[in-house]
Amino acid sequence: MTISEDSSARPRGTGTGAAWDDAPCAVVAVDPSGVVVGANTVATGLLPQAVPGARLEEAVPHWLADAHRRLTASPSPLSGPGEPPGGEAGGRILRAHPARGGNGVVVWWLLDDTELRLAEDALRGERERTAFLAEVSETLSGTLNVERCMEATVRLAVRHLADAAVLIAPAAGRRLPVTYSAPDGPVHGTVEADPETVPGLSEALQGFPPAPSRWIDPALLPDWVVPPRFDGPAGSVVVTPLPGHGVPAGALVLLRRTGHTAFSRSEEIFARLFAARAGAALSAARLYAEQAAITETLMRELFPPKLRRVHGVEFAGGYRASELKEWVGGDFYDLHPAAGPDEESLIVLGDVCGKGLEAAVLTGKIRNTLHALLPMADDHPRMLGLLNGALVSSHHTRFATLVLASAARVENHIRLRLTSAGHPPPLIVRADGKVEEADTRGSLIGVLPRIRARTATVELAPGETCLLYTDGITEARGGPLGGEMFGERRLKDALGECAAMPAEAVVERVQMLAGQWVAGRSHDDMAVVAITAPRTVHLSAVDGHTRGRYTA
Amino acid sequence: MTPMHRPSFALAAETGPGTARLRVTGDLDYETTEELVGAVRLHLGGRPAPDDLHLDFAALSTCDSTGLSGLLLIHRLAGVHGTRLHLDNRPSFLERFLEITGTLEYLTAPPEQETPGQPGEPEQRPGAL
Repeated sequence: MTISEDSSARPRGTGTGAAWDDAPCAVVAVDPSGVVVGANTVATGLLPQAVPGARLEEAVPHWLADAHRRLTASPSPLSGPGEPPGGEAGGRILRAHPARGGNGVVVWWLLDDTELRLAEDALRGERERTAFLAEVSETLSGTLNVERCMEATVRLAVRHLADAAVLIAPAAGRRLPVTYSAPDGPVHGTVEADPETVPGLSEALQGFPPAPSRWIDPALLPDWVVPPRFDGPAGSVVVTPLPGHGVPAGALVLLRRTGHTAFSRSEEIFARLFAARAGAALSAARLYAEQAAITETLMRELFPPKLRRVHGVEFAGGYRASELKEWVGGDFYDLHPAAGPDEESLIVLGDVCGKGLEAAVLTGKIRNTLHALLPMADDHPRMLGLLNGALVSSHHTRFATLVLASAARVENHIRLRLTSAGHPPPLIVRADGKVEEADTRGSLIGVLPRIRARTATVELAPGETCLLYTDGITEARGGPLGGEMFGERRLKDALGECAAMPAEAVVERVQMLAGQWVAGRSHDDMAVVAITAPRTVHLSAVDGHTRGRYTA
Repeated sequence: MTPMHRPSFALAAETGPGTARLRVTGDLDYETTEELVGAVRLHLGGRPAPDDLHLDFAALSTCDSTGLSGLLLIHRLAGVHGTRLHLDNRPSFLERFLEITGTLEYLTAPPEQETPGQPGEPEQRPGAL
């Protein structure tokens, strides 16, 4: 490609007569002294100053003049390795490819890269957004803590959507929980404010039907919505609802310093995708928090009481909840202490079938009903019959098995009445280490139209123990092979070594052996209660309240 | 440690004139009982309902309290349809479980129309275990 001296004198726009005159891209020829000697029609359209005779650095953008200087400074290669120089001119993005003409003239071919660059930018932007959304999902799904979820949402919003962000959660009473972005991390607070004071906020907080984002006049923004230490006035403000799983997750207020009040179309879609993810994560965290609170309340109510010595009868209990943390467990025990030394204390140990909330509700019902039936405790079968009548439902066949034990001290013995309602019979540990099953049988509670129960009367001599347990102990799987049940045989053998032990020690021993048996494997709830006749007692001291005066 | 090879749960059904037979293999527990109850409902829902429903437990491995709750429900459903329930080939552990819980006689006695529950019971889950 060459140009001649005279062609350089042609007027602009009329072409130079060279081969590139009608080229579909811009072409500019520059002589060794840095003066433009020719430009084709496309070039003069883009670079109106680039007319023959003009100095290159005055006629073209810096990037091209710089590239020319670098090229003429280096002696040989036309274009070095790497990217050809490029930049903007006349609203287009150009890439400059130099070619040597005759007499030291350099011909710059300026290829229009605009569409390609735009496509590349769009692709890069899309990739960044996708990566960001993946990060959003990962960050937000990583926590079920509402506060941390709110913090993450605000932090992510500030990084990609706005200069500042405020997340307003649905009101707890009159106060709105708010998380603000701040230079050194989000801050929480609660604000007593009327959401109606921010246009679009109360709709967004109601969450249903889904409200669109709303650009509002920054002047209308109450102070409480502006994050602390937000520098400069808000140029534009948008209220974006966060859609939850059918429950409102809150609203995100985004503040920008600049005045342009609209997202681009892709930003708009992006903001919506972000809001959807944040909303889903927040409502999941909130539902989880609610459920955890309910579980905690139930647990507190259902947790077995601490047992103690009552009127010369030792009681001890141990409860090991299944570590399959699905929900509250189905085992329970309760002690209803005797009012006086001549009266009986009633202890109940039971196992409700099933798991979860339904089992918990049934457990609560049984414990409350039995409490109400205490005046009938002198007749276990009758008490169980009434309990059964209160529980039988035509809608399900959920049941419970339980053992009632009434215990009173008679001189230095303990007289026990034991009644099983579909439950493994209690075990009696005699002073000589013999272990007997109490002779009681009965039907489970809560399903059968009529139940049967037979009460056993047992005397405990000093040092003897009666053990009530749930099948979580005997059916615990483990042992050397991992899958074997602990079983009644092992339980009886273990109890045989518990003669003359205090009640607490018996419970600890049984729990320890069962724990070693399962050795960290999953197990069902395990509950044990020991009723023991103390070995040496000053009966005069026994009133259930003056612990420490025993000599046992 | 030897891994345990416990048979997975399986049901096999056979029907004859006036009779339905379900063979239960594996563990009848929290995870599987619903399946058995569902299968029983299907058979009892046939027109006419079978006179006899046999549950064959020869290949049963374990039965927990949810499994027993399922059997009690099945007994109740059979009673409603006038179908006699038979618990066949009961392994000794099942026999013992039914004895301890005081349900053996109830589950194996001829059906009678039972009217459990009281009106206005707040539970809202018909058929729930």
